[in-house]
Amino acid sequence: MLKIFKKNKIPKRAALLQSNINFEVLPRTTLLSSALSKGIDWPHRCKVGSCGTCKCRVVSGEVKPNIDFSYTLNQEEIDAGFVLACQSELLSDIEVEINIKNKEKK
Amino acid sequence: MKFFINARYLIVPISSLMTIFGIFIGSTYAWTGVILFGLYTIIDTLTKDIHLKAEIDDDGNSYGIKIFQYLVMYVMLPVFITIQIILAWRIYQYTSGVILQNLSLGSIEYQNGISGINLIGAVISSALWAGLGIIYGHELSHNKKEGFFVSRLIMALSGASHFTYAHVYNHHLDLGHEDDPATAPRGRNVYLHTWLSHAGQSKFSFDMEAKKLKNQGKSFINKDNRWLLGYFYSLPSIFLFIWSGGLVGLVALAAVWILSNFLLEALNFMGHYGLIRKDGAVEHRHSWDNDSVFTSWFFIEIGRQCDHHVRGETYFWELDDVGGPNYGIGYFSLFVLTLYPPLFRKFVHKHLDNWDKNFATDEERLIANKFNIDQLGKASLVS
Repeated sequence: MLKIFKKNKIPKRAALLQSNINFEVLPRTTLLSSALSKGIDWPHRCKVGSCGTCKCRVVSGEVKPNIDFSYTLNQEEIDAGFVLACQSELLSDIEVEINIKNKEKK
Repeated sequence: MKFFINARYLIVPISSLMTIFGIFIGSTYAWTGVILFGLYTIIDTLTKDIHLKAEIDDDGNSYGIKIFQYLVMYVMLPVFITIQIILAWRIYQYTSGVILQNLSLGSIEYQNGISGINLIGAVISSALWAGLGIIYGHELSHNKKEGFFVSRLIMALSGASHFTYAHVYNHHLDLGHEDDPATAPRGRNVYLHTWLSHAGQSKFSFDMEAKKLKNQGKSFINKDNRWLLGYFYSLPSIFLFIWSGGLVGLVALAAVWILSNFLLEALNFMGHYGLIRKDGAVEHRHSWDNDSVFTSWFFIEIGRQCDHHVRGETYFWELDDVGGPNYGIGYFSLFVLTLYPPLFRKFVHKHLDNWDKNFATDEERLIANKFNIDQLGKASLVS
């Protein structure tokens, strides 16, 4: 039981395949907010899961959705592994496909 | 400091409990909720010029205690249920013809039975505080599944469970645009807006659910239909009030729902009246701030609309003044003005002119001019 709690507190890492960017995602923090806090220019708009601007494709690893993605993403996108970064916490290290314009802040 | 900053958001929970207690004590105390509403309107008006920034410690962290604030928000669900139960009990007493007499429960004296006039007070008190409870339904609508579900239940107590979906997926996305039923265009009054916004949000939720179910190959009549489920969540309230007083109970519940939804839509009305967004992202300029001190504390910072709509994921106690459009007065004071539309339009005129001149983009200003000419009969002075 204690191990479970301990495990939940371990930060995970997200790797952006097309940008060669790798960053830490703290527990209870979304993929998008972690990326933005690192200065990554992740496309986003509403931050509440309604616009779909922050969507990305999870190639490997697992995320925990904070809301039901099916209102914003269609079934084909969900089946292909797309998630909403603003509403995703990480359950494991992940690899993600997304086009990032700018590089991470130094 | 930390204690005060967290405790100051307890005005509604404490007042809701006082309202419940007042209805329980009976006689003229049934009007407690109404009296509090009036008292707070006076306090809000007297303190309208006090505006505070969000406080942070030396490390830049907020003083808000997340677990405490969330506990309060979750506890408000049973509090609002209790308001309905205590009102239903009074309706039962009234329709059963219980004789008025003073009794005691332990050391607490209360009036058994209730007169018609005091029952009206109990209904209005309940409606006002059910309506104000919507601030918790709003805050939790921006949260994870469990918080979102509690939001749905809180809103269902006012027959408005569709709000939770419409607010997130419609209002936050389409704010300031004609596609957002919760944004009131210039010239509309709060009474018309209440019906149009309520129906528009429900229709949006209906359409969104129908589309989702169609994509999933499911029929509209389905246990996964959250638009339908939302209204099912309201059934216990309907059964409770029919059981308590038949037709009188139903009329009382209708009054509670109408008044509480009026307060909800009045908040939407005040938050975005007359503001215009052509395309692109929602910016600070697309909302009105009402962040005088009492409004901020009472409405758990919901008045910091400019920041909220740009940082929708942010906890209410972290929202701040971002220099957006600001009415300069609190929600209670402004609400009173909205009740008399000519007075509200007179008040808001100078603020809209300021918005047109100093906040709007060229495209937004063009649309504003059309509204000003078509609906207010005046051309904007903005070139």
